[in-house]
Amino acid sequence: MSQPNVTIRGPEVPNTPGSLDPVFTVEDLSVFYGDYEAVRNVDMMIGRREITAMIGPSGCGKSTVLRCFNRMNDLIPGAHIKGKILYHDENLYGDHVDPIEVRRRIGMVFQKPNPFPKSIYENVAYGPKVNGIKRNMDTVVEEALTKAALWDEVKDKLKQNALSLSGGQQQRLCIARAIAVKPEVILMDEPCSALDPIATTKIEDLMQELRQEYTILIVTHNMQQAARVSDRTAFFTAEVDDAGVRHGRLVEFDQTTRIFTKPSDKRTEDYITGRFG
Amino acid sequence: MAVLSTPKSAVQLASKGRPLKEHLFRIALLSSLAIALIFLGMLLIYTLEEGWGRLNPMLWENMPSIRRPETAGIQSGIFGTLWIISLTALMALPTGILAAIYLEEYADRGRWYNKIIELNISNLAAVPSIVYGILGLGIIARWLQFGFTVMTGAITISLLVLPIVIISAREAIRAVPPSIREGSLALGATQWQTIWRQVLPASIPGIATGSILALSRAIGEAAPFLMLGAATLVRFNPEGVWSSFTVLPLQIYNFISQSREEFHVLAAAAIVVLLAILLVMNSVAIWLRNRYQKRW
Ligand SMILES: Nc1ncnc2c1ncn2[C@@H]1O[C@H](COP(=O)(O)OP(=O)(O)OP(=O)(O)O)[C@@H](O)[C@H]1O
Ligand SMILES: [Mg+2]
Repeated sequence: MSQPNVTIRGPEVPNTPGSLDPVFTVEDLSVFYGDYEAVRNVDMMIGRREITAMIGPSGCGKSTVLRCFNRMNDLIPGAHIKGKILYHDENLYGDHVDPIEVRRRIGMVFQKPNPFPKSIYENVAYGPKVNGIKRNMDTVVEEALTKAALWDEVKDKLKQNALSLSGGQQQRLCIARAIAVKPEVILMDEPCSALDPIATTKIEDLMQELRQEYTILIVTHNMQQAARVSDRTAFFTAEVDDAGVRHGRLVEFDQTTRIFTKPSDKRTEDYITGRFG
Repeated sequence: MAVLSTPKSAVQLASKGRPLKEHLFRIALLSSLAIALIFLGMLLIYTLEEGWGRLNPMLWENMPSIRRPETAGIQSGIFGTLWIISLTALMALPTGILAAIYLEEYADRGRWYNKIIELNISNLAAVPSIVYGILGLGIIARWLQFGFTVMTGAITISLLVLPIVIISAREAIRAVPPSIREGSLALGATQWQTIWRQVLPASIPGIATGSILALSRAIGEAAPFLMLGAATLVRFNPEGVWSSFTVLPLQIYNFISQSREEFHVLAAAAIVVLLAILLVMNSVAIWLRNRYQKRW
């Protein structure tokens, strides 16, 4: 290999093959729950209109990092960060940044589908409504549902309660709901883990569609999924420090093809070949 | 089952008979329920039988009297009770629901003052109602000089039901899954929008049931009103919040203290009316709960 065998991090990333147009630049990010440092010193970049996957064993801090990108961690008492996340050129955790505004631009889809106990229509219209979007709501709803590949299945029952949908449909509804506020980025925390293989395939296909327009970050436990859908992959693991405390660490961040064919770190290789975690 | 248990099947699905313990437990549960229901039924039948002779329109058309039990009614008591309960609902429900929202959605549980508030709300719910009567008499009737008016009564009863309203509203709010709040906040909704558009609508059935049950309890109260120094005989309906008044339980108490038998019949008839009001309120609570019940 002509390239130096080191983990590619931070500002060097754009120089890797297939250069990257960053939406987020994470610099030396550590995340704390009270005194506990759950994740330590993460440097990575999220490319525009790319799918970035975050993989790693349970408890290594993938969700924790993901929830920093839309400041959902702010809701947990005692949670705080050190370091920086730049969104374009703005510090996401800057003093004058309004987390509500952040969450409007950076949508999120959760592990367990969580539609509101209201009609399908109202679920999609909710985001635009609370954000004061004044466009014709019927159009907004139809557009979002179409983009989420759900329109054909629900167009005749928009007034039905969203909880009457199947799990896979509910998850696509949650994606439609996020899309309806026209975010730039969509964060997904194990969006398929509660779904069967067919519903999973549908969501994966959908992600490929959405990639034309949105930047997507996905946490997944399914390595095949990461390999199938993502452009870049970040591999996290948990390390025990000298004091015996476990911290999540970013081990390697690179193009997905490289991570899965010639990872530069032994731990990555062990993990993806199933010898670990 | 027959299909599954082929002759040599290793799987044993046939019933082995329920263990004795399970049967005993069921019997214990059923008999407790039966005892409660039988007593309630007996009470109802007894009261109906006793008051049957006076369950006629005169009961709600006429004013009370301690001279002519044959024609005396309880109209002032019915109106007094309705006034007190409506005013109590107006004051206690919004206050209680807002307090519950604060405690569930905004309060930092770690703070000492929030812990003290929480502890004391539970304590207040257990305080005997007569103590609220003393409070009402000392502070509202005398110190604030509100006198023995509908206002004084309603404020006192509001204080009495407030802890119960807060506790039941908190439970209803807590039953809304956190994932609903997260979903809303992740879409860029503010905390207030999340509460107003998601949490409250989802918890309305629980809040409504709890509130109605709290108010039903207040309807049966006589002790605080006695303490407030209620007039024994009020022969007019309240005309406003500054009017003096009586309530049904007081009137019943008053009739029962008379020595003539006819008054006891009148009291029983008044109890039937009180029970009817309670029944209506509780049915509304059940209807609301079924109508708006949410499943997750
Ligand atoms: N709200 C919280 N308060 C305190 N500690 C937390 C909280 N959430 C997560 N942690 C801790 O932070 C660490 C990382 O958790 P996180 O949920 O980010 O892991 P994960 O990689 O997403 O795991 P999984 O794959 O199981 O979802 C864990 O040690 C966890 O116990
Ligand atoms: Mg997780």
